[in-house]
Amino acid sequence: MTEEQIRQIKLITYVNWLVTERFSGDQGIRDMQALNTVVSLPGDGTLSCILGERLSNRKDLYAQLGWFVYYIIEGEPFYGKNRTTVLLMLLWVLKYYRLEFDADQIADFIKTLDPLKHGNSDIALWFSGHCR
Amino acid sequence: MRRKIIRVGSSKGVLLPREVTKAMNWEFGTEVELTIDEEKRDIMLKTLKVNVPMEYEIDDLRQIEEVMEDYADLLEGTDD
Repeated sequence: MTEEQIRQIKLITYVNWLVTERFSGDQGIRDMQALNTVVSLPGDGTLSCILGERLSNRKDLYAQLGWFVYYIIEGEPFYGKNRTTVLLMLLWVLKYYRLEFDADQIADFIKTLDPLKHGNSDIALWFSGHCR
Repeated sequence: MRRKIIRVGSSKGVLLPREVTKAMNWEFGTEVELTIDEEKRDIMLKTLKVNVPMEYEIDDLRQIEEVMEDYADLLEGTDD
């Protein structure tokens, strides 16, 4: 695990702690391996859109967000508030990449996402069609 | 490189040669941006960029808290 991945895990875990404190929920990491998967992209890649390199094109950004969303919802690395953690991270990343998005649409998408029906590529494609 | 305008349904289009899409790393679904310089009668096709955040460090965790408060109504109940 690289320094960059450790920083990314710290951030995601912090966000989970934040939402469990704010909205009440079970705290803590349930499955460390599932959390490692979230920041370990294919080809020795990392979730570099957060606390890593500055991505400069949307295709890479959406591919990373697709991976992030899928593996948190599918792997449920935390005891509670996994989807809330995903949603807050997404809103933060999209806002700070200054993309235009409909927060209600994203919230509905995250709430109803079924990881058995949608893979990370489907999710990346969804972002491509819903962010400007 | 010369290309012809072709009919695509009721629209007009230009096919991108394989060497161009390969060099640009463009695949189906890649978003590109078309800009027109009317004065020079030029067009330019570029990979759609994102605005890279200037401040994006772990010390800026307060930004996340601000976003959480901005969208608190939306976030509450997401896991219900």
